[in-house]
Amino acid sequence: MHKNSSENPLVPQIVEVVKIIDETPDVKTFYVRDESGVPFNVMPGQLAMVSMLPIGEGMFSVSWQEEQDHLEFAIKSVGLMTSEIHRIEVGQKLGVRGPYGNGFPVEKCKGKDMLFIGGGIGLAPLRSFIKYCFKHREDYGKIQIIYGSRSYADLCFKEELFELWPREKDSETFVTIDKPEEGWEGNVGFVPAYLEQLNPDPANKIAVICGPPIMIKFVLQSLEKMGYQDEQIITTLEMRMKCGIGKCGRCNIGSEYICLDGPVFDLAQLRQLPPEW
Amino acid sequence: MKILKKNQLDTLWERLARNAELYLPTQKGDQSGFFSYKTLKPEKDTLMLDALNVYLSPKNIVLPQTEMMYSFTHQGQEINLEEVYEDPTPRIIFGLRSCDVKSIDRLDTVFFTRGFVDEYYRSRRENTLLILNACYHPGPNCFCEAMGLSPRESESADIILHDAGEEGYIWVANTEKGRELTGNIEDILEEKEISYPQPRPFTREVDYTGVAEKLKDMFSHPIWHPLSDPCINCGICTYVCPNCYCFDIQVKTRGEEGYRYRCWDSCMYGEYTMMAGGHNPRETGMERFRNRFLHKLEFFTERYGEPLCTGCGRCIAVCPTGINIIEIMEKAKGVEPSA
Amino acid sequence: MKDMTDQVKEIATKLLESGQVDVFMAWEKGDAPHQSKPFFARNVADVEKIIFDEYCIHNLSTYLTRFRDGKEKIAIVVKGCDSRGVVRMLEDHQMKRDRLHIIGINCPGMKDPLEAMKQHSGFERETGEKGLAIKCLQCMQPNPVIYDESLGEIQEPHFKGERFTEVKALEAMSSEERYQFFSEVLSTCIRCYACRQVCVACNCRTCIFDEAKPQWVGRETSVGDNFMYHIVRAFHMAGRCIECGECERVCPVNIPLMLINRKLIKDVDHYFGPYDAGMAYVEGGKPPLSLYKIDDPDDFI
Repeated sequence: MHKNSSENPLVPQIVEVVKIIDETPDVKTFYVRDESGVPFNVMPGQLAMVSMLPIGEGMFSVSWQEEQDHLEFAIKSVGLMTSEIHRIEVGQKLGVRGPYGNGFPVEKCKGKDMLFIGGGIGLAPLRSFIKYCFKHREDYGKIQIIYGSRSYADLCFKEELFELWPREKDSETFVTIDKPEEGWEGNVGFVPAYLEQLNPDPANKIAVICGPPIMIKFVLQSLEKMGYQDEQIITTLEMRMKCGIGKCGRCNIGSEYICLDGPVFDLAQLRQLPPEW
Repeated sequence: MKILKKNQLDTLWERLARNAELYLPTQKGDQSGFFSYKTLKPEKDTLMLDALNVYLSPKNIVLPQTEMMYSFTHQGQEINLEEVYEDPTPRIIFGLRSCDVKSIDRLDTVFFTRGFVDEYYRSRRENTLLILNACYHPGPNCFCEAMGLSPRESESADIILHDAGEEGYIWVANTEKGRELTGNIEDILEEKEISYPQPRPFTREVDYTGVAEKLKDMFSHPIWHPLSDPCINCGICTYVCPNCYCFDIQVKTRGEEGYRYRCWDSCMYGEYTMMAGGHNPRETGMERFRNRFLHKLEFFTERYGEPLCTGCGRCIAVCPTGINIIEIMEKAKGVEPSA
Repeated sequence: MKDMTDQVKEIATKLLESGQVDVFMAWEKGDAPHQSKPFFARNVADVEKIIFDEYCIHNLSTYLTRFRDGKEKIAIVVKGCDSRGVVRMLEDHQMKRDRLHIIGINCPGMKDPLEAMKQHSGFERETGEKGLAIKCLQCMQPNPVIYDESLGEIQEPHFKGERFTEVKALEAMSSEERYQFFSEVLSTCIRCYACRQVCVACNCRTCIFDEAKPQWVGRETSVGDNFMYHIVRAFHMAGRCIECGECERVCPVNIPLMLINRKLIKDVDHYFGPYDAGMAYVEGGKPPLSLYKIDDPDDFI
């Protein structure tokens, strides 16, 4: 799958930024491709290392694309490299290497109703899976999406949230923001509370969670309360990463490497690991 | 059997160094480690073949502390990859102890298995020949046998030397690569039957049996607090350890040119797991200390079937505050199972 | 020094039992006979382990940073050099005086357990029993400068010679020679940061070397990055090093860090002195480079 001439998994391939979308004040989505299209194919939930070569590298969830003609990354400006990448313009060359990690268990979830619970930039990995489900609509049952952010402005992927996904059949999209604001008629409150209020039935369902650690923690408690079993709950973890190929050591939780064995785990697997997640 | 007379060592080294970078255990000024034969100054440097070992392990040769990865140029929006620095230079490490050969085995496990092959490591490792100096006199902090290896045997050593004192070294070619090298220098070896030296017993009794299993339930045990109290979270133990392999990837840029390199990193440093947003999953020294020992004694064993410690005793000798991995194993074993 | 151990234990028992302190920082016996290691007793049962012997070389004041955000009352056993470290922590506002109970020991000089461990490791040619640690032979202040109770006879400093002989030799070098000298000694640095970690003056919450945004110092073990590390470290030591010598003691590649520190001590003393860091605690006291005076010399700029 590597087009890299040296076949060296730590050497990036050069791609060009072909489109940049402002999602929120601090999140942008970057579309990249090389002459022939995508340097590699990805599955929902997989990761790729993006590099601003003179600055640094960072690991991001890479968006699954039906057409597989470009790679897509939604990047929040938090550190040195991410704030730099927010300054680039279309035409900029970047390095990418990947894909890394296990991705979501798309096969195992077939035939199930899907409940996606996201917060903030955490919608990015979920979105891949959501799009995959809608593309393979007949393979999955009812699809429910619960998503929240600090404010309306901080909601990512607004077109999908408010236009595209609500139109999909047998699906529901619920959006919440932390505090009331003028013009917002939707739900106000944190994701875990909204989840409990909506109270989706656990029967034949898989819940997929991604968001800030504090949200994940409370959503897990809520799901447990609502009767979800550990095997029905899937989440993706985040750790600092450097190599992406399970060698450099830092992203371990117990004997598992997030970059290689993760980032996607079900709660039953996580409970086997030391409580560092 | 083949014998290498000690007065032939210089001739051997000179011959080996013609076609390969040769490394010898040496005391060089204030440092002891495996240094290139080319850089040795006989009047100043001391060979350490008869010492137990040297402080700086040979891992630097297969996994350099700082290693260039690739260079690039950038101008405006353009980026060009220039050169990928894989290094296939033939290398010979002479006089390794068994603990260090085994540690290279474990690096092989990390860098060659589980889905990805690390090409930088591969290019060095596949062109490196290992000459083991069998160990007959274990030191006060040695416990290699307890960690599952023999001080005098090794599957991955290409050649094994047994120091028979004035008779010289018994020379055993142990792999195909070793036999090939032996063929090239056969003229300086002698044929003679002599007896192997008598090994001295280990002075320290260590038992790793059951430690990994025991530690599995000890992640949240309060014992980690007193155990880690003296630790200052410096990186000495991780850098002298022949097994510790964690690395960082960094970039240097000057003007329109730059290169990416990797360098050893240490799980003892707070920065190691610090995420861009400021969250650090292992914020305290205790958490980092715990991860280091669990990685060595439990996690690595769970993942790869063997512990990430080969009992060389370096970390015990050099810890500024007297932390001792043997003591940690013993204390873990002494913990009540229910606690 | 069995007697000293008993005295320390007695004080520890008294303080922990009465609840006057929550932690008692001292030493316990290490794994080897020639090894002692820092030990924090947290209850009376722990006191049994406390020792004070000729290998209690570590400067425990560094460990006070671990407690800086807490409220615990802490008892700490200090030798002369360590007590100057306590002053460093107080002056730097990393610890409040009323949280400390300081047991000062007039120190006869210590042996280096690290040196002894290495000596017996089999990695070195044994050169017979080692005497006092180098840092103790160079000691100017064996008696604690701050304490709540003190133990042992007042000691004379071991160091009697000219304090800055080696610094003057360094100053006498031409700049090329000096560059050569530092290139040689700093090229061996493995960047283990033991010198920083063990240093009581290195009490910044986020060290400049761990900053990522921007990254001030590269992590290559190259002469350039190593120079940058050691120069910046030296800057931060100026007027703040309390001469405990721990950095040099723990350096695994024997970089002459105290030579660098003494050059700074000499210069600070010369330009802003007379001054020796951490010799007395005065509330609100600050090292010279943390103050501004209108008549500060600037002719070296």
